[in-house]
Formats: sequence, structure tokens, C-alpha cells
Amino acid sequence: MRGRLFLLGIAILASGALGSPRAQTVALGRADSLKFAVIGDNGTGGRPQFEVGQQMTALRATFPFEFVLMMGDNLYGTQDFVTKFERPYQALLSAGVKFYAAIGNHDDAQLQVRYPAFNMNGARYYSFVKRHVRFVVADTNFLDQVQLAWLENTLRSATEQWTIVFFHHPLYSNGDRHGSNVELRVRLEPLLVAHGVDVVMSGHDHIYERIAPQKGITYFVIGSSGQLRRGGLTPSQITAAGFADDQAFTVMEIAGPDLTFQTLSRTGRIVDSGVIRSRRTS
Amino acid sequence: MTSHTIAHPALASARSGRGAGAIVRFALEHYLWLPLGGLIGLIWANTAAESYFGFAHQLSFPVNEIGMTLFFALITQEIVEEMMPHGALHTWRRWMLPLVAAAGGAAGSALVYLTYVTLKYEPILNQGWLVASSFDIAFAYFIVKSIFKRHPAISFLLVMAVVTNVVGTIVVGLRYQPVTIRPGGTVLMAAALGLAMVLRRFKVHRFWPYMLACGPLSWWALYLDGFHPALALVPIVPFLPHQARSVEGFEDTPDAPPSSPRHFEHKWNYAVQAVLFGFGLVNAGVLLHRYGTGTWAVLAAALAGRPVGILAAVGVALWLGMRLPPRLYWRDLTVIALASSSGFTFALFAAVALYPAGPILAELTLGAVLSGVGVIAAFVAARVLRVGRYAVKHPQSIR
Repeated sequence: MRGRLFLLGIAILASGALGSPRAQTVALGRADSLKFAVIGDNGTGGRPQFEVGQQMTALRATFPFEFVLMMGDNLYGTQDFVTKFERPYQALLSAGVKFYAAIGNHDDAQLQVRYPAFNMNGARYYSFVKRHVRFVVADTNFLDQVQLAWLENTLRSATEQWTIVFFHHPLYSNGDRHGSNVELRVRLEPLLVAHGVDVVMSGHDHIYERIAPQKGITYFVIGSSGQLRRGGLTPSQITAAGFADDQAFTVMEIAGPDLTFQTLSRTGRIVDSGVIRSRRTS
Repeated sequence: MTSHTIAHPALASARSGRGAGAIVRFALEHYLWLPLGGLIGLIWANTAAESYFGFAHQLSFPVNEIGMTLFFALITQEIVEEMMPHGALHTWRRWMLPLVAAAGGAAGSALVYLTYVTLKYEPILNQGWLVASSFDIAFAYFIVKSIFKRHPAISFLLVMAVVTNVVGTIVVGLRYQPVTIRPGGTVLMAAALGLAMVLRRFKVHRFWPYMLACGPLSWWALYLDGFHPALALVPIVPFLPHQARSVEGFEDTPDAPPSSPRHFEHKWNYAVQAVLFGFGLVNAGVLLHRYGTGTWAVLAAALAGRPVGILAAVGVALWLGMRLPPRLYWRDLTVIALASSSGFTFALFAAVALYPAGPILAELTLGAVLSGVGVIAAFVAARVLRVGRYAVKHPQSIR
């Protein structure tokens, strides 16, 4: 009995540590780096989304990121672009920050792909390059053979030093509500591994989680930039860090072979940070 | 779906023996291979997800796009025979009210489904109304048959099921992927139909030449043009020589000589059951925590929308002057309506045809599998309303 209580205590402490990581903060702000932010499951139009938007604006004063990646569920409920997107991120939009969206299960794809500020140019899945980084955006709501063929061609032809892929449904997640999407993983992971993808980011579970590299790829779940499932993370042995106590967003910078990231809570507290090296370098 | 008494070697030995043979026979006669495959898939997916989904991914094309041609051939055979003299679809008077009921059921389920999905703001699920509108002929038949034994409720349900699923299958077949009529596809289909006509003209009674010569041509034609290739034998089966059948349709029939079309039906039934086992195994395996809006929408549509739609449509039809068949009362109709709430085979087929593997398909699949609880609802209703086998001594007094 005592032994069990001791193990339980260790488990609680471990889970607490993951809930509020005390990992050493890695500094951001290298000159000439590619800087961007990542948000997911944000489009609620609620107060927490506005506060995350304010926090991002404040951070940009010291860390001038150029664009924002959106992991999907960009607008919950009525597709009200003004209340659920333009107002919360008004300061960023006014400053010329561009947003690149993936489609989530709550999004009306027909409307959103044509919304200019999401930069999707009418496509549910697309790709773009920023300096030496190839970003590939997939639509995991409808991953048919046509999209898989496009994805394979796009990844195969990527010549940039970095390849970052993002879509809504996570291939790895320890979120209590949805968890890992194994159905998608058996189709996507072989492609991602074969073509040297460095980082994969998703949302859907309303938490933040960083997964230890799986077959060389680092996975992020960034799904709490508007929605939040408080305490909705049960870490497993593949969890590198996690945070489900408050809304969060992530900022990243890429300089040469290094990707440095920081995840901040709605109140500006750093809850995770680290450095990832490009697979093509190693 | 057909339940047969043919002396298949497995069945023949099973009848005289016990143990595994008897279980195989029981499963064949009660159409349990599909739910058995589904159950194995469900357990496998929830205990070793990675290996299950890897397996299902490898087998989905041969099972869903090739193997299911046999299932749709058998369904077509049933429909063609129902349209012959004494069949349940032979005259419009016989199928008019069930047709109205089928339309009401489809409209009710689609309305509930789309309302639910719209309220939840998940537009990606919109085309899943076809999943919600499908219902499983085999499930419904065996429920009604085991409740009513011999009763007009059975042919009423069969006509309703056939009409619903024929329309549903055509719509799914068209939406499988963008349809583009290509010259190559047209030539291949013309060749398949021409060959079938020649075989019929030369009075070829064996079904294998139709299946093996015309089937692949038709399959390739549909595949090229973007139609669902599982429907490949649908245009071929009407060329097979057919016999008129009894009003009750799917009932047991005497053994038939090997060259007759009835023998074709018996033979294919075993192959179809094997295919359906694979279909259940490959498609019904879904993680139980993968529930979502699509799951609840399909369930609400199947368990509430369809039964209410059927009863409402029949009510309107009767108000407009149509009449219920003799010995069929509102209580029977209520049980029929609930028996039709299991989507299973057709719902899974529609889901797999409309959505690629992924989270949306998983939600719908779970809804289709869970709609099997309609079986319980039908039996409970039969017991509460005292119809069929649960009737009191004078069932004609129950109105």
C-alpha cells in the first residue's frame, strides 16, 4: 500500500511538472532568423482569444515575427471573420503580419479558402516557402488519394533546408478528448519520414503538447489558443512537454540548422522552450 | 438478404454434426458474418490500433471496390426478382405505400442529420446525410422476420429497404469521385453489356461467364468514369435468366439445380457473406473514443429521424386516401420503422465511399456501427406494443 502511494505521489509530481514545465528557457531573437508564431483552435471570439492576441502583439515588440500559422478551427460556429479573427488580431493585421490557415473540422472550407487574410488562395491544401523553409499545409478532414499524391509530390520536390508540415488533426497527442489519430498516421507518417520532414504541427486537442521526436520528426499539438480543455492532457512516455492550464501560443525562429521555439501562456508565462536541429543538417 | 436451405458442403456437414460446423451454419443462416467481422475489427482497432489501421488500409481497396461487387450483384438479383410476377415490386399498388414510407424515412433521417450538423457548425459533415439515410436490409429483414414470422410487414419492409438503398446507392455511386464520362469507359461498358446480351441470347444459364467475362469490363468502365466500381455487376445481373418468386421474397427456397439462376443466388450468398465478413473487419474497426458530431448526428437520424419520418409519411399517405395492406396496423408499422434504424452495411458503404480514411470517416463509422442498437429498440417496441410473436391471442383487434 505504501509503495503504491509512493508511486502515485511520483506520478502526480511528474504530471505536475509536465503541466507547468520548468525547462530552462531558450532565448529568442537572433538577427536574420525567420520568425513566426503558431496558434490553433483559436476562433472562438471569446475573451481568452483576445487576450492571447494581445500577448502576441506585446511579444512582437521584442520578437518581430513575420507571419502566423493557424492549425485549424479558425472560426467556431458562425463564420464571423470580424469577431473571431479580425478583431482579436487587429494589431497584428495592421502591422502587416500575414496569417496562413489550415482547415479544421469546425471550419467552413468553402468560405475560408477564399478569405484573403488566410492566404489559402482558394485551396484546402497548399504550400509556401519562406527563405530556406518549406511550409506544407494539409487538409486532414478530407485526405483523399488526390491530396496524398499532391503531398508526396510536394514533399519530394522540396529542396529547402527545412520542411514544416501542419494540419488540424494530430498524428500524436495525449489529449484526453481526441488523442493520436492513428487512421491518419498510417497514411501520412511514411510520407513525412521518407521525405525528411522536420516538424509537424497540429491542433484539435485543446491543449499544448510537444512530443519527443518520433522517427526523427518533432510533433507539436497547439490547440489551445482560444479553446482550452483545462487539465485535458495525460502525459505518456512520448510527451516531451505539455501545458493545459491556460490558453497558449508558440513562437518559433529558424536560423540556419536551428529552430528555436517558445510556448507562452495567455498571461505571457513561458511554459516550454527548446531547440530542434534540421534533419537535413544531421 | 437471402437465407437459404441449399445443401452447401459446410451446411450439410453442419446439419449432421455439431460444434464448429453448427456455428458456421448458424452464422450463415442468421447473417452473422458481417457483424462478426465488424466486432473483430472493433476489438482489434481498440487494442492494437496501429496494426489494425495498417491492415485495413491495405485491404480497403480489394474489399470495398472489388469484393463488394458481389454484394451489390446479389442485391440487384433480389430486386430484379421482386419486380417479376408475384414479386413485392411487381405492381405499383404493392410498392406505392412502402415507397412513400421510404421517402419519408430518408427525408426524416436527412433532416435530423443536417439539422444536427448545422447546429454544431461542422459543414464538412454535410454530405454525410447519405450515410444517415441508409439502412441495412439484412439487419432489418432478420429483425422483422424473427418478430413477425409470416406477415405483410416483411414485404412492406423489403420494398422500403430496396427503394431506399437503390436510390442511396445510385447517389453514392455518383458522388464517389468526380464523374467524367470517358470514351474508353463508354466502349468498355458497351462491350460488357453487349457480351451479356450475347450470353443471354445463347441461353447461357451459368452465372460464371456473366461474372468473369462481363464483370471486369464493367468494373473497369465504372472505375475509369469515376463511378463506384463496386456497382460493376449491377448492369450485368438483369441479363441473367431469372425466375418469378413468392411475395415474401427473401424467404427460403428449395434447392436448385447447379445451372439455374437460383443456384447462382445460393452460391453467391456464401461468397457475399465472406465478402461482408471482410467488409465488417476492414471498415467497422473504429476507435471508441473517436466519437464526435458525425456520430451523434447519424445516431439521431437513424433512431429518431427515420422512424418518425416513416410514420409521418404513412400518416400523410393514409390521410390522402391510400390504404394500409391487410393485417398491417400502426403498431406493426412502428416496429417496422424502428427495425429500419440500423444503418450498418449500407451506412458503412456510403461512409467509406464519401469520405477518405480519417477523423470524419471515423465519426460516421462509429455512428453507423452504434445504430445497431435499433435492433434492441425494435424488439422492445414489439414487446411493449404486443405485435408479432409478442401478440396476444387476437392480434387483429389491435389497431
